[in-house]
Amino acid sequence: MKKHLLLILTLLILIPSVAILVVTGWGVVEHEKAMKNIAESYVLDLAQSVAMQVDRPRFMRRNLMMSRSLESFALDISLPGWVALVDESGNLLAASSRAQDVLPQLWQGGIPVGRAILVRGPFGDNYTIAAIPTSQGWYVIAAVAWSQLLGPMVRFSHLWPVAVGLLAIAGVCAAWAFWRWLIMPLLSLESEVSSLKWGKDLPKKDDPFAVKEIRRLRKVLYQLAQTAREREELTQRYVSDLVRVQEEERTKLAREIHDGPLQDVTALLQRILLLKRENWSDKAKKYIEIAEESATEAVKELRGLCDSLSPPWLDLGLSQALTELTDRLARVYGVKIHLETSELPEVDKDTILAFFRITQEAINNAVKHGHAGNVWIKLFYEGKSLMLSIEDDGCGFDFEGDTEALRVKGHRGIANMIERMHLVGGSIDITTSRGKGTTVVCTVSLPFVGEEASSDAFDV
Amino acid sequence: MVIKVVLADDHPLTREGFKSYLENRENIKLVGEASDGESALKVIRDQLPDVALIDIRMPGIDGVTLVRQIRQEELKVACLMLTSYDAQQYVLASLRAGAKGYILKTASPEELLRAIEIVASQGVYLDKEVATAVEEPGFTPESLSPREREVLLLAGRGESSKEIASKLYISERTVQTHLASIYDKLGARNKTEALLLALKYGVVTLEELLE
Repeated sequence: MKKHLLLILTLLILIPSVAILVVTGWGVVEHEKAMKNIAESYVLDLAQSVAMQVDRPRFMRRNLMMSRSLESFALDISLPGWVALVDESGNLLAASSRAQDVLPQLWQGGIPVGRAILVRGPFGDNYTIAAIPTSQGWYVIAAVAWSQLLGPMVRFSHLWPVAVGLLAIAGVCAAWAFWRWLIMPLLSLESEVSSLKWGKDLPKKDDPFAVKEIRRLRKVLYQLAQTAREREELTQRYVSDLVRVQEEERTKLAREIHDGPLQDVTALLQRILLLKRENWSDKAKKYIEIAEESATEAVKELRGLCDSLSPPWLDLGLSQALTELTDRLARVYGVKIHLETSELPEVDKDTILAFFRITQEAINNAVKHGHAGNVWIKLFYEGKSLMLSIEDDGCGFDFEGDTEALRVKGHRGIANMIERMHLVGGSIDITTSRGKGTTVVCTVSLPFVGEEASSDAFDV
Repeated sequence: MVIKVVLADDHPLTREGFKSYLENRENIKLVGEASDGESALKVIRDQLPDVALIDIRMPGIDGVTLVRQIRQEELKVACLMLTSYDAQQYVLASLRAGAKGYILKTASPEELLRAIEIVASQGVYLDKEVATAVEEPGFTPESLSPREREVLLLAGRGESSKEIASKLYISERTVQTHLASIYDKLGARNKTEALLLALKYGVVTLEELLE
């Protein structure tokens, strides 16, 4: 019952309106009938009572003075209506007061004898008229105006349909207003809120058709959504800052290792190599050889450390960096990586870094989780957008776009990829399903129009 | 004949080390040194050495840009990159800029001297660490067919398989087949390595690549 409250409320407004209309319509018809019956029997009674008087013998004697005496008995009755006596050829023999004025207008259409009929007067008002024969072969004609006989009831029967009509219109208007201002705004609010991405979208700020309460509710919702969005943006900025600071730190650390320890150990190795050329005892030669091996190993390790932190070859440009990366990963993992790049415009450092990290992550995932044997990477520039697609023939995974769930489970890789694209204002699309491999497509629009790589980048 | 050498490296300790490598050689004479790109260019312009040993990472002008500058100025100096970077893309970038050789700072004094001699006599020297794919002893590269040489050169100039295919009026698949055969013959694992090895073995020349 509660579930359909709105529908029930609407019906509760509409049903009484309809019921009142029906009952009133029926009442008006019945009322009309009743008035007609009253007027008919009244007019017949009047005519018959006059006819009875006319039939009396003494009336015959005085028929010369009829006019006056008819008037007197008509006055005797002292009832509303008009009475007239006519002979068989229609000549007026006698009439009550004002009957000469009224009756001729009414019988123009002819009057059936012995029963009453309804006649419309010149102003649309109702009259009932009847003719009764007397024993002399004359006719008594009696008529009455409804408004005269039934006064207030007639007025009432005119007013009643108007009042009820207004009531019905008010009912329908109420139902319409109820739908337009309450139910429809509620439904639209409901559908809007249910499809709202919290922290991202905002509902409509105002609905001018809605009632005040819903408008207020909408306003509150709007403010809540706004707050959620601001908070989301703040979190996003925080995450972005984290990623950026992390990258900066890695780059700085890699540079410091390269310029400091790596050069120092290289210098050490040089001295060892110089020492080797002197004459030493066998024991000393052995120590020197061990020192050389250690120093060579240390150089390699430091170089590897720089590469894993932030490889210097990122400076070479996007396709070079991706070529170096894929060559190295193909060697390390023993997979086939098919890289295809076309001519690219100059790409900014942040985008290079984002694409580099995403490629790195995607290949790592493909090999470690997907057990892929082949990875196809395509990098191309089209319509001012730079596109990177990474496809593998691994086993894929169940992914429905819920990166939060993955992050919670400890799989930060995909969330990180999305974050990286977010940072450079690009979009990322990951399609995968179990047994179908994985495809990652990144798109970023480059702010400048297709200039060729400038001369200070190493054009390989 | 004495080979005049200029050394450009920003790290004082390693620079001292290399100086010691070159000391007391009859055929090599260090005629100048620099610790950054700008002063290196100046020294090279002044001294016009036969060989310039250039570090890639230097303050100011980096090594690759310096090499490009030297080539633009048409100075008759053979540039030998002397660096810690072991990325093949750096080797390729250096060669494209006009360097004649690439050697890692961890190389022995003998290797460095040999590299200097090779580049001084218009040869190409590539460090074994960045351009040896096949460690098997006794591996000798097979010669490439003329078509394969063409494909390799175009690939070396940075053209994609699609572009090579349209230039040579062959299908992309045929390009891939040629590349696979090239890798096989040279013992390379990828395009860059194939190109480096081809240069190293003299299958293609640097001049052909830079055309």
